[in-house]
Amino acid sequence: MILSRAKPAVGGEPPQTNKRKKKGRKIPKLEELLSQRDFTGAITLLEFKRHVGEQEEDTNLWIGYCAFHLGDYKRALEEYESATKEESCSPEVWVNLACTYFFLGMYKQAEAAGFKAPKSRLQNRLLFHLAHKFNDEKKLMNFHQNLQDITEDQLSLASIHYMRSHYQEAIDIYKRILLDNREYLALNVYVALCYYKLDYYDVSQEVLAVYLQQIPDSTIALNLKACNHFRLYNGKAAEAELKSLMDNAPSSFEFAKELIRHNLVVFRGGEGALQVLPPLVDVIPEARLNLVIYYLRQDDVQEAYNLIKDLEPTTPQEYILKGVVNAALGQEMGSRDHMKIAQQFFQLVGGSASECDTIPGRQCMASCFFLLKQFDDVLIYLNSFKSYFYNDDIFNFNYAQAKAATGNTSEAEEVFLLIQNEKLKNDYVYLSWLARCYIMNKKPRLAWELYLKMETSGESFSLLQLIANDCYKMGQFYYSAKAFDVLERLDPNPEYWEGKRGACVGIFQMILAGQEPKETLREVLHLLRSTGNTQVEYIIRIMKKWAKENRVPV
Amino acid sequence: MADNCGDEFEEENNKEKKSSRLTPPRGFSENEEDDEDDDSSETDSSEEDEEEEHGAPLEGAYDPADYEHLPVSAEIKELFQYISRYTPQLIDLDHKLKPFIPDFIPAVGDIDAFLKVPRPDGKPDNLGLLVLDEPSTKQSDPTVLSLWLTENSKQHNITQHMKVKSLEDAEKNPKAIDTWIESISELHRSKPPATVHYTRPMPDIDTLMQEWSPEFEELLGKVSLPTAEMDCSLAEYTDVICAILDIPVYKSRVQSLHLLFSLYSEFKNSQHFKALAEGKKVFTPPSNCTSQAGDAETLTLS
Repeated sequence: MILSRAKPAVGGEPPQTNKRKKKGRKIPKLEELLSQRDFTGAITLLEFKRHVGEQEEDTNLWIGYCAFHLGDYKRALEEYESATKEESCSPEVWVNLACTYFFLGMYKQAEAAGFKAPKSRLQNRLLFHLAHKFNDEKKLMNFHQNLQDITEDQLSLASIHYMRSHYQEAIDIYKRILLDNREYLALNVYVALCYYKLDYYDVSQEVLAVYLQQIPDSTIALNLKACNHFRLYNGKAAEAELKSLMDNAPSSFEFAKELIRHNLVVFRGGEGALQVLPPLVDVIPEARLNLVIYYLRQDDVQEAYNLIKDLEPTTPQEYILKGVVNAALGQEMGSRDHMKIAQQFFQLVGGSASECDTIPGRQCMASCFFLLKQFDDVLIYLNSFKSYFYNDDIFNFNYAQAKAATGNTSEAEEVFLLIQNEKLKNDYVYLSWLARCYIMNKKPRLAWELYLKMETSGESFSLLQLIANDCYKMGQFYYSAKAFDVLERLDPNPEYWEGKRGACVGIFQMILAGQEPKETLREVLHLLRSTGNTQVEYIIRIMKKWAKENRVPV
Repeated sequence: MADNCGDEFEEENNKEKKSSRLTPPRGFSENEEDDEDDDSSETDSSEEDEEEEHGAPLEGAYDPADYEHLPVSAEIKELFQYISRYTPQLIDLDHKLKPFIPDFIPAVGDIDAFLKVPRPDGKPDNLGLLVLDEPSTKQSDPTVLSLWLTENSKQHNITQHMKVKSLEDAEKNPKAIDTWIESISELHRSKPPATVHYTRPMPDIDTLMQEWSPEFEELLGKVSLPTAEMDCSLAEYTDVICAILDIPVYKSRVQSLHLLFSLYSEFKNSQHFKALAEGKKVFTPPSNCTSQAGDAETLTLS
């Protein structure tokens, strides 16, 4: 028994745990659900009505409508297909079916269904877009002429401009319509998409903000915002934007899920690419390109080539990637054909009005001239954007070669030495050019050390030839003689003896001119003696005579 | 390939010019269409190498003429001939372009093409105009909504085939589980309490809520009702309490107990008795009894 009870057992207000109850919940009406774009709810309601027998005549069409706008085209297809099989079906349903096929990527079926529909604005727009998909310019023009000066038709035309990369034309249409219809908020997003494609990310953000202010949880708009952040800042900033989107949407929310998964891979620098991207190839156009980029970064050029070889490029990005893959493969296989293709693609992009002032465009021009071995031009382009790539190994690798090729070996040496990547540093192109720079910059010892660090191979043999001859040319006879000496041992070619002979005499001359220490003479004699040639004794005799006269110990 | 450069709006949006738009490459006048930067095009210090033509003699190359003045014997002079007798080879080095691998490309999707099915009733839906044609992120949960609809239709006999959804990686998604629990409890709260059909006759609640006889009430003022401290089994105690409250006990006590707790709940939620209890705490026989029934813990402990 409790006597000290303070709270009356009865009468005390029971704690209000169920505040929520007050809010209550009334059964939503279809119109409400539609106006909230809660298409899942709308479908549930319609299905329920159908189930309890309350259904009105065209419940299936309503479900089709809702499924379509939910992005569940398969479901919409089911409804419309079954509707078209009914005898009482209105012929207009065919155009709905056609639209559904279109979004499922079933263009042939879309066209067939479209032709069964009576003439309408929508039908014409659909056939217009189909002509674009089929690359049928003649039909495209026909349907284009049928477009009228009404909002939907104009917007449909703008979307074709967008897909054909004619962003400015699209923007013009949107701006014109917005002028008379300020309330058409969605058009701001379309304009923002165009600016994004034009690389005007700040402008895109500004226009986009108008829409997001009203509809802060829009999937499309938030994804675009994330993409702008990716371009303006980095992957981390972009991912943060996507994260808020994913946190707010329920896990069952399927709309644009693939797009978001795709972009997460992009924002995370390719993490998870092999899991996420392959199924999205040919669903999201960028997925194939990103997979190619991923393989290129993994140095798997062949895999990259397999993915892109059948792609007919239409966008600058596609041309660039085809160029890059062909350039990489061409150099790997030594194929002139691939290099030629690469060079042409690079020229096409780099010379286009839309890309000539972008970094990728300049990269293309530099690559194009590089493949053409016009290194003065390569430098002009590389210099124009080098500030963005100070510590970039790939940039420096190309830049240093161009510098060296145009004779600026001192800067070339500096740039070569900035490179960190071990694979690049062991590349023979790197080693040979750096050795040449060292020699031209009067540091033959460093070139010799590059040789000493190499394993014996065909490449180390080539490097010896380079050191022997370049040093000879530059009057650095000591290292030339050493290199010729090794060459001669490896290959008793009389030419190497001639080189060694000349180099040894060269050292002697330098000693006489006071440019080499006299002590080196002993080493010269040693080098000469290793060759079993009759001339050796004659040369040694003269040198020794001089040594004796000048009291140089040998 | 895009053939429109967008110079028109470049003018109007000068300040937003993106960093990825570059000034024209310096020293490459054939290609120039811009004139803003020509002041810097010719005077570039980093291009001093340009004067150096490829064919020109190498700077710092060996030149035998530099050593002709050396005062040497004819013998040595003759020896020097060997230097020029070997002509160093010109070794061509390969160049290798490391292609610039582009950044990964995010996808933004395409623009609404207005290939959208209209409402079956032909009314304008303004999708793609006033708002983007995309579902809102706040979609109803179909299962929850169906339960609501079933509940609301009062047709409880509908056995609708309902898809029961499952949740992947449930442990990583507590939010989804919480949402689900919340919406289902919300649904349950809105339902009227379940009714129990007693198999044996039972008095109705109103009868049970009648006042006791004045004598009994008076007695209660002096003696309290038997508590759970009583030396008896739970079953016996149940019988005692039910007897006091006029609740018949049949073979099973479950239905009697259900009635007992329903009675308690009725008193507890009754505005009348609440007021009464607050007014005079001592003399409230029914509330007295409920207070005991309310101490469920005590009940079960004995």
